[in-house]
Amino acid sequence: MALDKKTAFSIFLAIISLGVIFLYLFAMSGNSNIIYNLRLPRLVLTLMTGMVLGGIGSVYQLMLANPLAEPYILGISSGSAFGSILLGVLGFTILMPLGGFAGALLTMILVWSLANKRGSFDKSRLLIAGIVVGMFFSAGISLIMYLFHRDSLIILGTLMGNLGRIFSIVEWRVYLALAALSIVVMIRLYRRSLILDIMSGGDVYAGSVGIDVNCIRREIFVLSSLLIGICVAYAGIIGFVGLIIPHIVRHFIPNGQKRIFLYSLWSGGVFLLCCDFVAKHITTLELPVGVITAAVGCPFFMWLLLRK
Amino acid sequence: MPKTRWFYPVLILLLLIMTCKKDVQSDAQRYVVLSPEVAEILVAIGAGERIVGVTEECNEPELLKSITRVGKFGMVDREKIISLQPSLIFCSGLEQEALADEFTKLGYKCHVYYPTSLKAMYEGIVTLGTLTQLTENAKAVADSIQSQISAIQIKLGEKRKPRVYLEIYRDPLMSVSNASLVGELIAAAGGENIFPTLERDYARVKAEDVLSGSPDVMICYSQDTLANVLSRKGWQKVPAIRDKRVYFEADINPDWLLRAGPRISLGINALYQILYGDESGS
Repeated sequence: MALDKKTAFSIFLAIISLGVIFLYLFAMSGNSNIIYNLRLPRLVLTLMTGMVLGGIGSVYQLMLANPLAEPYILGISSGSAFGSILLGVLGFTILMPLGGFAGALLTMILVWSLANKRGSFDKSRLLIAGIVVGMFFSAGISLIMYLFHRDSLIILGTLMGNLGRIFSIVEWRVYLALAALSIVVMIRLYRRSLILDIMSGGDVYAGSVGIDVNCIRREIFVLSSLLIGICVAYAGIIGFVGLIIPHIVRHFIPNGQKRIFLYSLWSGGVFLLCCDFVAKHITTLELPVGVITAAVGCPFFMWLLLRK
Repeated sequence: MPKTRWFYPVLILLLLIMTCKKDVQSDAQRYVVLSPEVAEILVAIGAGERIVGVTEECNEPELLKSITRVGKFGMVDREKIISLQPSLIFCSGLEQEALADEFTKLGYKCHVYYPTSLKAMYEGIVTLGTLTQLTENAKAVADSIQSQISAIQIKLGEKRKPRVYLEIYRDPLMSVSNASLVGELIAAAGGENIFPTLERDYARVKAEDVLSGSPDVMICYSQDTLANVLSRKGWQKVPAIRDKRVYFEADINPDWLLRAGPRISLGINALYQILYGDESGS
């Protein structure tokens, strides 16, 4: 009996998930203190970050009707990274997530006002506004990097992803609250899946069935910015996950945004866990996780393209 | 065209003149010092009067504070250095090595001092002495550092060695290996570095390894505060944090440990105090 593609993918994903979570927590010697206080928080952070990236990637690719769209394309990540790096180099390492969050909000307002001219909120305008604002903040990051090159490690950590964050006890509680908020926001995005599917048929068509296209786009933009802000503030910018995961999922589940979104969420989380596990253990020196996501993700994506 | 007939010969002549190198060396001893540790050594061996330019980081001893600044450690004003007409430029390693190459190309004499071990430091100091024709003074400085360090070694004897974790960066966590000068100093002061072997002198480490290394003493140069260190999730069981044996820049000046100069003997004494101070008091 031949399994259909979807079932095979689900089974594969389930096995990998269990395996990697077990390995992540219990591989390499470690006492209960290390497992409970270091590995578990890192697991939660990694899983949440991967989920947000995969989920938003799938939403953006559909909403912007662009297969190259990824969570960072609307500039929020650059703004967030800029805020967090700025506080980092000024010596407020502890407050970096706050800076990241403030940066994300500021960028969101900026992109919003650029995209929202004359009441229309169309997708190309949003895309261009996002890219321009993103470039602006990237330039800002380069400037900081040039001026404070002693702190290049903080900057690189933010730009290439740093999941090995050291949480203080209070900070961890704050993060848990934010993670809970993220889950609520993701549920909201999940419930918008059907409308997104309809919108992908074109604004005119969606309008004719009674959907306020601008309003929905605005809502998704704000919600996703919130999620990305939280993500970048705590884990930095981790590339590729948001781009390739939705494509991989769509290879197995061609249509139905509801399912694609759910699978993207979970595959994103599990993929990032795998990558982080490799990044932690492949050499004695911990590698930035962004290097691994690219190194693992690109060949896999190429293989997928060739098979098609 | 008759007007342009002279153009090419004149151009070639001008180019030839431009390639002729001006003799940039002068007889007077004028030193530009870009490396803070070299500045300290030069003053200690009695060549302080000859220094005409320093970088902003060269803040010790007092004498250097009145000397012209030529920029920061990693970002110097090249024109300013040239305008000071140095007879010798002293650089450090890292980003300054490229700078030394540049100035050598321009015809200046450059000397790079960047020791990564105590032995290399003694030799480096003597070389600085030879370059400045103050060999005897330099030898004396090197000997005095050496004898202070051996005095500590004698005091050490067979004591149990406390395990030391030196944090130079928080996000990401970074520490030092024994291959670095600081690592060697920790060992010389009777401590046992929890990261004796890392890939590089200064490298990224995992929080897990700090916890399982259970250091007795933590030296924190990562700009973190005591309250923050104490509240790091999962770190409370680390002996150094449980017993509050965490030391900061105010307790032990990082320049004493990180600058391979005369004040390194202060550094090693301070380290010894931190590691064994309580025991010798009781």
